[in-house]
Order: sequence, then structure tokens, then C-alpha cells
Amino acid sequence: MQKHHFLLRRLHSLTGIVPVGVFLIMHLTTNSTIAWGGLNSRAHGDGWIDRSIATFQHEVEFINNMPLLLLIEITLWASIGFHSILGVVYAMSGRPNNADYKYGGNARYTLQRLTGYFGIFFIFYHVATLRWGWDWLPGAAKWSHEHAASTLAHALQGSTEQFTTTGLFVSIFYFIGVSALVFHFANGLWTAAITWGLTISRKAQQRWGFACAGLGAVLMIMAWVSVVGFATLDYEQARGVEEAMKLDSLPIDSGSHTETAAVEQTDIDG
Amino acid sequence: MADEKRVIVVGGGLAGLAASVRIAEAGVPVDLFSMVPVKRSHSVCAQGGINACNEVARQQGYSEYQHFDETLIGGDFLNDQHPVLEMANWAPKIIDLLDRMGVPFNRSSEGFRDLRLFGGSLFKRTHFAGATTGQQLLYALDEQTRRFASEGKVNMMEFWEFLYPITEGEGEDKRCVGIVAQDMRTMQIRSFRADAVVMATGGCGLVFGKSTNSIICTGGAASRCYQAGAWYGNPEMIQVHPTAIPGADKCRLMSESARGEGGRVWVPRKKGDTRKPTDIPENERYYILEERYPKYGNLVPRDIATREIFDVCVNEGMGINGGNQVYLDLTHKDPEYLTRKLGGILDIYEKFVGDDPRYTPMRIFPAVHYSMGGLWTTYTPGDYQPEQPGTEHKPGNPIPIDAQPGHGLTIGAHNNAMTNITGLYAFGEVNFAYHGATRLGANALLSCIFDGLCNGVSVVNYVREGVDTPASELDQSIFDQAQQAEQAKHDKLMASVNTGKGDQSLNPYQIGQEMGEVMNAASTVVKTGPGLEKCLAKLDELRERFSRVELGDGAMWTNQSLSYARSVGDMLILAEAIAKAGLLREESRGSHYRTDFPERDDERFWKTSVAKFNEETGKSDIEFIEVKAGLVKLRPRNYGKVDSGTNKEKIPPKQVAQANA
Amino acid sequence: MSDAESHAFDADMRRANRKKAVEGRSVIFKIKRCDGPGKPSRWESFKVPVEQGGNVISSLKWIAANPITTEGTKTTPVVWDSGCLEEVCGACTMVINGRVRQSCSCLIDEYAPLEGDAITLEPMSKFPVIRDLWVDRARLFHNLTRVKAWVPIDGTYNMGAGPKETPEHQQMRYALSECMSCGCCLDACPQFTKVEDEEKWDTSFIGAHAISQARLFNEHGTGKLLKGDRYEELAGAGGVSDCGNAQNCVKVCPKGIPLTESIGAVGRGTTVHAIKQFFQGKE
Repeated sequence: MQKHHFLLRRLHSLTGIVPVGVFLIMHLTTNSTIAWGGLNSRAHGDGWIDRSIATFQHEVEFINNMPLLLLIEITLWASIGFHSILGVVYAMSGRPNNADYKYGGNARYTLQRLTGYFGIFFIFYHVATLRWGWDWLPGAAKWSHEHAASTLAHALQGSTEQFTTTGLFVSIFYFIGVSALVFHFANGLWTAAITWGLTISRKAQQRWGFACAGLGAVLMIMAWVSVVGFATLDYEQARGVEEAMKLDSLPIDSGSHTETAAVEQTDIDG
Repeated sequence: MADEKRVIVVGGGLAGLAASVRIAEAGVPVDLFSMVPVKRSHSVCAQGGINACNEVARQQGYSEYQHFDETLIGGDFLNDQHPVLEMANWAPKIIDLLDRMGVPFNRSSEGFRDLRLFGGSLFKRTHFAGATTGQQLLYALDEQTRRFASEGKVNMMEFWEFLYPITEGEGEDKRCVGIVAQDMRTMQIRSFRADAVVMATGGCGLVFGKSTNSIICTGGAASRCYQAGAWYGNPEMIQVHPTAIPGADKCRLMSESARGEGGRVWVPRKKGDTRKPTDIPENERYYILEERYPKYGNLVPRDIATREIFDVCVNEGMGINGGNQVYLDLTHKDPEYLTRKLGGILDIYEKFVGDDPRYTPMRIFPAVHYSMGGLWTTYTPGDYQPEQPGTEHKPGNPIPIDAQPGHGLTIGAHNNAMTNITGLYAFGEVNFAYHGATRLGANALLSCIFDGLCNGVSVVNYVREGVDTPASELDQSIFDQAQQAEQAKHDKLMASVNTGKGDQSLNPYQIGQEMGEVMNAASTVVKTGPGLEKCLAKLDELRERFSRVELGDGAMWTNQSLSYARSVGDMLILAEAIAKAGLLREESRGSHYRTDFPERDDERFWKTSVAKFNEETGKSDIEFIEVKAGLVKLRPRNYGKVDSGTNKEKIPPKQVAQANA
Repeated sequence: MSDAESHAFDADMRRANRKKAVEGRSVIFKIKRCDGPGKPSRWESFKVPVEQGGNVISSLKWIAANPITTEGTKTTPVVWDSGCLEEVCGACTMVINGRVRQSCSCLIDEYAPLEGDAITLEPMSKFPVIRDLWVDRARLFHNLTRVKAWVPIDGTYNMGAGPKETPEHQQMRYALSECMSCGCCLDACPQFTKVEDEEKWDTSFIGAHAISQARLFNEHGTGKLLKGDRYEELAGAGGVSDCGNAQNCVKVCPKGIPLTESIGAVGRGTTVHAIKQFFQGKE
């Protein structure tokens, strides 16, 4: 660890941006289609919500059909794991002192670490419930990439019938979780520029700060609308749109498609 | 290691660091003792700059020789002339060296070192790094020392307090072979062997209580050498700066440029007027300097300003609220203009006093600033020995001697900057030789570094060629005895903790404070025979009380009370020499001003006063010995016509304005 | 709140306090004391009359002459480190009301304007306590050696002037060179932690102070000859990449040194250095 200190530090910084940060942007873009997918006039369905559900479903299908998906996924998992483990080691080396030094930068320093810890926990939960199907956890829902939106509505609402108390907690948890990750990414992007020496002067650091805050704000909005979108989505309506899409696509290539759908291990969580 | 010859340097300011670097570079191992991490030495406080002849000035008729001549007239011819000549000749090379070491000297637009005007010269000859030149020079030398320390050539002994020099032999044969020092943390006292010891321990401002000096500038180390038999030269020559900010803990310098930008010095006409300064109407203000010196007004030279401010407060009791303070008023100037021109120093005032000088007049008072006197040292003159001493040097005239090394001093002669004790050297402010009766601004940094660089070579040569029996081969008993003697003094002080009955008059802090008060009153700006006699009597009383001193802290770990109390005892001994030499010098010369003898008396007193410690009486014997001159003829110290009729320093107003900018 | 705003806020608050300062009042000093390394700490309180323009140093001096606590117990004078008292030597740094700063420039009027107001004094938190408020900052100077914070001149003999430089460049270096190694930036840094074991100093976070000094010497014509060595050290364990960018350093620096800019500049330097090393290969 001592010998490759610099390399590890820089890789830690790099992995936070590529691929993890980039993936976060993609992921939030995809998810937020549940709110703005209605813009997509070519999407299946008539109403705004139907088209949103359909767009989202379409995006999930697209990702699912990406070539070398397994490789992409392994890289991603490795990067998240690497970034998380080193992140915890690095974060543990500090001693926050926000009570005495109430500066904005200092607050962001501590938040970066707290959001990191929380983010790891959140990602683990997110994957465990939606991916590995640990259904003893609250908010677990068996993932099906053919029923992307409805599965998430199920997860965030706690059941397929009504919005339960569990659903409320899960939704709030998601809301905080995605907020934390977005902050962690935007702030990390700002500090990375100093770490790598891209921004030196106070002015440059300030300008880049505005840029990162802007990006963070956009991502934050996308994250929030995603959570709100799924948490308020009508399960049956989503199910209906998804089933309709499935029927539409069946005649084209039924064999291989069904097969892929069965191999859930290669899915990427939508 | 055992038979390797070593040098001990005591003090890590500019002089000590320059010496350490020079000596270590020559291959002689150095043990550097300092009470503080060397980067925190008092040299950091120097602001203005460092003087040296330079190419621009040279082409205007200036020369190293002129710098030498200015320093002598500035010092009222009490300087030893040969080392001053050598110092002036080295000055440009020292600047070059500092430049190479990375000192961020201010630059001209073309990238050359910028220069500023300073008192005592018509030429721009002062190099500077912002308003913290001393800090920048100290850091450069600190860095070089750290480099040598990392290579094992300098052994840093920080937080060790010098207690006493170790000597062997008697009289003429007495030589210094080491020191006793105490670890300020563990309180361990031990002896250290060395073939030569360089004292670079600075001035003694704390003898006068509050001064512009750091709290470590007690003069304790010099006093200990003096008690061990080293002579002390010109102790009475103490420089007092006219405008300092009196503080609850110390006096901080307020640059002369405040007056240069239009600052007016005044007190309320009514004694004890308690109104706010801004509430006192114009006609009820007494503009001291403007009324007493209509021609020069607030821009009279430093020593006159100092004396008048002192006179108004101390003799006439007209200081603000009856205290020792006068107003230095800039409030009539546009605040924005002030910020642009004087921002830095006004911020310092605001930071420490809490008032904004743009809106509230500053309260200032003269404060002890520098000690021209110090351990007496000797030297071997160089090859410039004119048959007739030179007369006043005029700019542009042919110079009597060029600036090659070796004209003033014989470089590397064993006795350069050596005290009367063989092997014991004194460098920097603690060396009395350079500044005579008044130091010119921006010459102090120069003398410190010059001593280290030039006379460091002498130390090396002495250790290599002049020491027959290395200190490492001497009998251990010499060192044990010295250590035990110090241990005994220490134990005696420590024993006083438990015997104490809580008598406040025996509190070392109380004794130190009273000493500062009496020395400040009697032996600084204006001195009188009776005043000094009273001062000496008071010092006797304080010494008697000190012999029964009671410490407040009996801890055997990091006991600062002990260290302070010990230095009070040593300061009292030095104070006696300062006051006594002042009493016996019945004339006025430079910073030494006696109302009862207001004229310079060359017949009787163109002499160096030398204090020798009398072990039997515990007091000083003062002798007056010939000043080592012969290069420049004595002449009246006259910077132009002076209204007050004294022959004191007169600096053209324009320069005063720019000095310390 | 931006840097400038928070500074202005602090300054305004202090100025306001000064205005309401009551003459002839006494204030309470709560001082964290410790008799030596490994000994337990304790709090002692002292009631100190405030002199005109009094600061923490003058108050500690008063306590030294009158070492009696508010409970009336006689105690020892408080031990503390100080030097120039003009905020230029860095010695008297301590933690005052929870924040690190120099005690000489800490005016009582600004911190405790009313009768009975309290001021707490604690030793710096990131350095081993020697006694009371005095800490051992040897590590701080050791860190300067780590980054070879010097210009490698050939020797002290006369060899002409140093490199020329523009006034702008000089101003930039001067700003960095005003650092007095007080340690405020380290004490306020959440990433710089107390390390008592000297063996571990070389791999523990070096802090803004030495990073900025490394930059100072990299910016000098001759000093940059050791640039490679400095980047090697700062790329290693405890180097510049350990910085967590809390940026407290620049806020608490009494000299206003652009420490975060130095961190960025050294970050860039190490990046470029590493890339060069990768492609050029190193022994």
C-alpha cells in the first residue's frame, strides 16, 4: 500500500469519476425518464405517464441488450468495490472537526465522508433488494427487466396494491440515498480537480465549484424526480404498458428474447 | 568523533545561523543551541531592509567606502572602524548570496532587485523583501541550516538554554572549551565540550521591561559570559525608536512612514484631559513637534522626536491621561488614501490595539529597540592602513580604497570577533563593534550576517590551527565542575519555592517589572547623573531582593518560572553595567543623551566604555579605552542645520518619509 | 458562507465586541493544564483584570505573577510558548475558544467584552503537549526536511547574484515565504492528525504548511533543481494526495497564505511528474 500510494490515491479518484460517476449519470438519466419520458412521442401509449413508462422500459431493454454487458458490469462492480474500500480507509484517517471550524468547505469535507459511508450502505441495499432478491428486506421486489417501472413502483411503495408504511420508509431511504450519492459525486468532482491539479487558483477552484454545483443540481433533480416518479407510479398502469410492449415485441424475435430475459444474472438493474 | 574538533554556536538568529552554515560548510561540526526553534528567533521582527552598495547607486557616485563612512558618522564615531570597513565591502556580496539562497527581494519591473531609501544616506542602498526583510533573511538561513542538519553537519539543540561558558586557564591564557546548558523541557543540566564557542544571542531589550524586542531577548546569555570574565563594550548605547505602539505585553514598532504620509504628533493642551481625541478641538491640541520644530515639524530625526515625546510625557506630565502616550494622528487624511499607502502598518495597529487609525488617532510612545553595546571583541586589522585618516567622503570623489576583501580585517585571523576570552566569539547584535553610539537603519541585518560569514572563517581557522589540545582531550573534571556549579545555582533557586512566604516583593516577575521600569525611566532617552545614581541604588535594592527571590513553580519539568527568574538575576547584573557606564560617560553622543552634559566631548569620551565584571563586588568596573580608529578622521556629526542647537542626527525629510516604508 | 463573508463576519463581530468592551472588568480564563507528557489534563480558571489593550499574553503574564485560581487555590504559573508577540514568529499559537490562532494578537476586548465573560485556552490539538499550553512542534520542522525546503546552493562563497525574476513572481513567492511555521493550518486540518511516534512521521499526512513550502522552492530558479525529490516525497504516503480538501487551512492561516492554491499546484506537479516517470521510466 505504501509503495503504490500515489497510484492508489489517483485510481481512487479516477474510479469515482470513470466509470462510477459516469454510470451514475447514465443511471439517473435512464431512471428519470419515468418523469420526462412523456416527451418521447414515439413511445408506446397515449398519455404522458404511459409514454414515460414505455420510454423507461425501452431504455432498460436497450441497456440490457448492450454488447459485453457482463464485462461492463464486472468493471463497474470492481470500481465501486475499489472506490468504496479505499474510500473507507481514507475516510477513517481523518478526524472531522466541524463543531469548532464551521466553514462551508469543512462541512463538505465531512459530508463527503458521511455520504460515502451511507452511499455504500445504500448501494448494497439497492442491489440486494432489487437484484439479488433478498426478499426478507423491506422494499424487496423481484426484478424483471421486462417489468422495469412496475417492479420499482412495487419496491418503493412497499406492495403492488397500495402505498404502505414500509413503502414510505423505503421511499424516504431512496430519496436520501440518491441525494447522498449525487452530492458525493458532484463534490468529489470538485475536489478531484484540485487533487489532479486542474484547478489551482482560487478563482479557478471557484469557477469549477459552480460547474460542479450546476451538474450536481441537475443530477439531484433527476434523482428526486425518479424517486418521486416511481413512488407515485400506478402499479397496474405500469404493468399494463409493459405487458403491451412485450406483446408488441414478441412476434419479432421471441426465442432469443425470452431466453435473455430468463438469464437474470446478466441484467443490469434498471 | 572523540577527537574531532567541534564548535558550539549559541543562538539561532541571523548571526548564529550564518555562522553555523559557514562553519559547517568548512567541515567543522557545529552544535547549535537555541532557546527556541531557530525559525522563531528575534531576527524575524526586523522590517525595513538590509544596506549594501549596488550598481545603480555606484553609478550615481556611491561606493562601499561611502557606506562605511555613513555608518561611522551614524554611530558618532564610536564604532571600531576596521570591521565596519570590511562589513561595508562585503555587503553587496552578502546580498548576492541571500539572493541565491532564495530570499524574495522586491524586484524592479526588469527583474532586478529593487531598492529603497533609508535614513543616513542620500542614495538608495537598502534592499528589502516586503515589510518583513528580517523574517525573509532568517528563513533563508534557517533553510540552509536545516539542509546541513539533515546531512548531520549541524546538530540542532533547540529548547536548550545556555547557562555558562566553560573556561580553562587564567588571565591571558583563559580559553573557552565548552558550555553548560539546560534542556528547557526535562530541566537536565549538562556540559558540552567545544573548541570554540560563538555567542550570537542578540540584544537585551527586556532589561528595559517592555521593548520592541521578543520576550527571549533578555541579554541573559551575554550577561553570563560577562560574569565569566568577558568584557562588555559600550553597554550604555541603547537605541530608542520614537514611534512604537505601547501594548499591555510589549511595544510594537510603528513605522516612521506614518509621519512621512502626514501623521501629526500631539497631546491635549489641558493636562489630564479625558475627552476622546476626536472630541478635542483643534485649538486645544498641542502639536509637539510642529510647534517646537516649525521647520521640520513631525519629520524631525528619530532621536529628536524620541526626546521631545519623552520630554512632554515624562517631564511635563502632558501625556494622554497623564500616561506615557501621545497621539500620532492620521485621521485628517482620506481613509482610502491611507489604506493604499499605509494599509499594512495600519492593519497591525488595528489588530493589536483594536482601534482603526483611519478614524481614531494612534497612541504611540518611544520604545527601546536595539542594543549597540555588547560583548567586547577584538580583531586583526586588514591591509588598509592609511598614513593619514580620511576626511569626510563626498559622493563621486575617488575612493581611498577599493572593496576587495581583506582591507578592513585580515580575513580568517583567529581573533576576529573574539572576546577577551580565547575561543569565545561574539557575533551579531551581541557584538559591540559595528554600530557605535547609534545604529543606522538596515545595518543590523547586515552586521549579523557579515559576522557569521566573515568571522565564521576565523572560528574555523582558530579551531583547526589555534587549538593545540582539543576540548575532547581535556580532563573531565573541568566540565563536571562547571556543570555542578550551575546545578548548584539551579538547586538554590528551586529550593526557594518551598521557603516562600508568599511575599510579592520577592516574586521574580515583580522584580523584573520594577527593573524594567527603573531602567526605562533612567537609562534610555534622556539621562541625568542623579537619575542614573538613583537607578543604581534601586538596582542594588532589587539585587538584594533577588538574592531572596521566591519561585512560584517547583516543577522539575518545563519550569519557565525558573528560567525567567534566572534571567532576571542576570539582567540585573547587566543593568548595573548599563546604568553605570551611562553615569560615567559625561557627554552626549548618539543615542546617549545626558541633559547635564549635552555636548559631545571627544577629548574625554571618544572612547569605548568597557565593563568588566568584578567578582568580589559583583558589580562592574568601567574603563574607557581608545576607540580603534585610524581610517577616518573624527568630525562633528552634522546632517545639516539643526534648530535645537544640538549636533544630533538630521535626516532630510524626504528620506524620513520613505524610511521604513 | 464564502471565505470573504466568513472573514468579514468574524471581523465585524470582533469590532462590535470591542465597542461594547467594559472598562475595568475582569474576565475568566479557563485553561486546560497538563503537567507533562502522559499526565492527565485538568481545567483551571483564573479571574483576570483586563488592562487597556490587553491580550491573551498579557493575561497569562498576569496569571504568572498571581497564580491563584477562582477557587482561591494557589497554583503554578501557566506554561506557554511565545516569542515576538507581533504575530510574526508563530510561537504563541494555541487553541482559543476552540479555534487555533496566535495568542499575542488575540485581544481580550474582542473575545470577552463584558464583565465575567470567559475565554478558554487549550494547547494545540495536533502536537504532543510538553506542559500546559506548550506543545512540541518538532514534526512541523521535520516536515520541512521531508520536502527539502531549501535552495541547494553550491556554497556560501561569492558567486554572483541569484536568478532574475519578475515582480509578479517575487510577489507570489513572497506570499508563500511569509509562512512562519506556526501550525494553524495543521491544527485546523481534519486530515492532519496527532502522531506521537516519530517513526511514523514520514508516512503521516504532511499538511498544507510543508506542501506550500515545497511549492515555494519549486518556484525558485535554483530551488527547482530538487523538484523531482520533492514530488517523489509528496506523491508518497502522507503526501499531497492525502489532502481531503476541507480547506480549513486557508481559512485559519494568520498570514493569508494561498495554501489551497499550493495544494492544487503541487497536485498538478505530482500528476505531471508521475506521468513523466511512467513514460521515461525510473530506476
